[in-house]
Amino acid sequence: MSDLQRAWARSKLGIPPEPFEELDEAEEDQVPELPEAVDDDSSSASSASSVSSTGTIIPTPSQKLFARPQGVARGRTLEQIPWTTYFERELFLKSDANPEVTYHVYLNSPADKGPLYVMHHGAGSSGLSFAVVGSEIRKRLPNAGILAVDCRGHGSTIAPDGAALDLRLDTLSSDLFAMIEATKAQMGWPELPPIVLVGHSLGGAVVTDLAMSKKLGTSLLAYAVLDVVEGSAMDALQSMQTYLSTRPGGFATVESGIDWHIRTRTVRNSVSARASVPALLVWDESRDASRPWRWRTNLAATQPFWEDWFVGLSKKFLGARGGKLLLLAGTDRLDTELTIGQMQGKYALQVFPDAGHFIHEDKPEQTAMTLVDFYRRNDRSALVLPPKVSELLRQGKKV
Amino acid sequence: MSDLDKAIAQLRSCRPIPEDQVRELCHRARELLIEEGNVVTVTAPVTICGDIHGQFHDLMELFRVGGDVPDTNYLFMGDFVDRGFYSLESFLLLLCLKVRYPDRMTLIRGNHESRQITTVYGFYDECLRKYGSANVWRYCCDVFDYLALGAIVLGASSTLSPGMPDDDDTEIEVCDQAGSIISRFPRQRANQSASQEKLEAPNKSTADKTGPPGSGASGSSSGSVGNPTGAILCVHGGLSPLVDTVDKIRLIDRKQEVPHEGAMCDLLWSDPDEIDGWGLSPRGAGFLFGADIVKVFNHRNDLSLIARAHQLVMEGFKEMFDASIVTVWSAPNYCYRCGNVAAVLELTEDESGTGIFQRTNGDVGRSSGAVIESRGGPKNGPARRYRVFQAAPQDSRGMPAKKPVADYFL
Repeated sequence: MSDLQRAWARSKLGIPPEPFEELDEAEEDQVPELPEAVDDDSSSASSASSVSSTGTIIPTPSQKLFARPQGVARGRTLEQIPWTTYFERELFLKSDANPEVTYHVYLNSPADKGPLYVMHHGAGSSGLSFAVVGSEIRKRLPNAGILAVDCRGHGSTIAPDGAALDLRLDTLSSDLFAMIEATKAQMGWPELPPIVLVGHSLGGAVVTDLAMSKKLGTSLLAYAVLDVVEGSAMDALQSMQTYLSTRPGGFATVESGIDWHIRTRTVRNSVSARASVPALLVWDESRDASRPWRWRTNLAATQPFWEDWFVGLSKKFLGARGGKLLLLAGTDRLDTELTIGQMQGKYALQVFPDAGHFIHEDKPEQTAMTLVDFYRRNDRSALVLPPKVSELLRQGKKV
Repeated sequence: MSDLDKAIAQLRSCRPIPEDQVRELCHRARELLIEEGNVVTVTAPVTICGDIHGQFHDLMELFRVGGDVPDTNYLFMGDFVDRGFYSLESFLLLLCLKVRYPDRMTLIRGNHESRQITTVYGFYDECLRKYGSANVWRYCCDVFDYLALGAIVLGASSTLSPGMPDDDDTEIEVCDQAGSIISRFPRQRANQSASQEKLEAPNKSTADKTGPPGSGASGSSSGSVGNPTGAILCVHGGLSPLVDTVDKIRLIDRKQEVPHEGAMCDLLWSDPDEIDGWGLSPRGAGFLFGADIVKVFNHRNDLSLIARAHQLVMEGFKEMFDASIVTVWSAPNYCYRCGNVAAVLELTEDESGTGIFQRTNGDVGRSSGAVIESRGGPKNGPARRYRVFQAAPQDSRGMPAKKPVADYFL
């Protein structure tokens, strides 16, 4: 569809391209049928057909006019994708340290000595943020396991009100360790598989803290941090409340929530959004009956912890033992400490210029490829280095 | 004034040259570089420089401190582009100087001289911003593919200023940007002779081979007349487990994008480290290598020193493993905020004039025995003068505004 057609369609339908908030209020029910504002490369064919048809008929979601044969339908649909598409099982776990909390995790078990990717999401997100990237990893590394956790106050992890709001970094880091241990116990694993920690944003701070604590011992192979850097995170915190206040408080349907994420380019891949967004919303009619799907996590209320999460992150990231990968979206906005560290060769840095903050949801295939390569490089069992000179001498060889 | 001189003058004032001139320049540079081997032979005196990273004003400072072209011979060990705001002007100026004074400028390839890396770390965006199209970036990348992978410096003197007996004993001298001496380190004769004796036996066992140092045909530094210092290998990153002789570098087909693995990748990506043997590089490419690897490699290839760049050192330079390898870093206050100083390494000419004999001398018979005498004692390393300098006062004009803050970061 050409820009001209798009523009024509917009003017014809009276859709202002922005701002989105007004749109939400005025035309709530029609949001799913207005694909013109959606920028999704994967479906130009269906968008062409929809522009021609929206002029004459207004389909409703129930008609599923553009539905495709299932598997995971691609294209314009905003249908939720259930977690069972991506994970074998979910576990509800208890830990002795915090008996009042019931942890919830999604799991694909590793097969014969495969690594376990332990994924920790960012603030306001959930374990399903890693659904698509997890399955992409398993396409490339079939014996890999994926453990995607819901941290307290998020997803389906249940904690009493007081505990749900204790989001200190220490707490989250011990929670993550508790979840790994409890998963091992519940699954009856004799020992922990080799672990690659992956954390997005706040999750990056959590996995780095866990790596630094050495609690995982030699099971920890490596850790990867997705799109968070201490320096730039601290800078961004000042404008966070402003940003949060621009988000709609709720949605009429889960589909309109998914649509909002795609249209605002918060998540730039519709399949990822359909898998991850449903877990971000909960049904609560009490505040606004017209928009009952509210955010699961009140991000604004987590502000007291923001600095705690990120202070010292760069130092810990460079200091902990294990392979280190930093994956950034957009540009390399490194702070001074990480710039020096990078130029001294202390960790691997990858930048995906055309991804947004939810880098693993926007680019699940590339992220998976990077994470698989990262594991392969750090896989101790496969690593064969050339012999040391001292060994050669001991063997009586001439060097 | 030729077009080339005009282009040099324009670039020196930090103004880019028109696109068609860039194309012409890159074409000429490629014709020149294609004739160079993977390992270029350079004779002292020469000033060796590390990473520049588009810090144009600091490059000007480097020329001020180290002496201007063509009065001083330069060897740049790669990473001309990315991160700084003037990658384009910096690289094109160096390339102009290379085309104008081919014998006085040597450029070798760094890991940032690659299409993949430059699209992420700034050079691509800079070309797009300054020309409105990616053509110039494409011309430059084509030149990158032809850059040599390493250089061998021959004929370096073991004294900093020959003829002045006072200086005879100085092995390392560190100067500030005004040229005044900060510190001096004399040769440690006692220690050196001890290590020399240890090396004696293997030296003799290989001395029956002949040829230029740095080639597999070479014996050892004690196998050549007239050059008391051995040769210096310059490479951007470091060694590779696939490369045990300099000749193996010569066999690489270098005219390609930097691969993700293999010898060519390792030469541009590896780092020395305080380990035994080889290790995994945390960078995700290349290897770590320890003192044992460097010493064996240097011995086998008749090298006295490896000079490399690639790693930021806050002091500008760092010698490791009993001065068998040195890191030279030439981007002061890297990324305009790291607070480091920069350095260049000066190697002086061996005034006996015999240093260059090494390139052609295949006569073994003369070497043994005579060597120790002609050395007048154990002096196995070249004398090294490091000129340390700080960032040029920054002209903030034309600098892009601070990177936009991400709006969402939880």
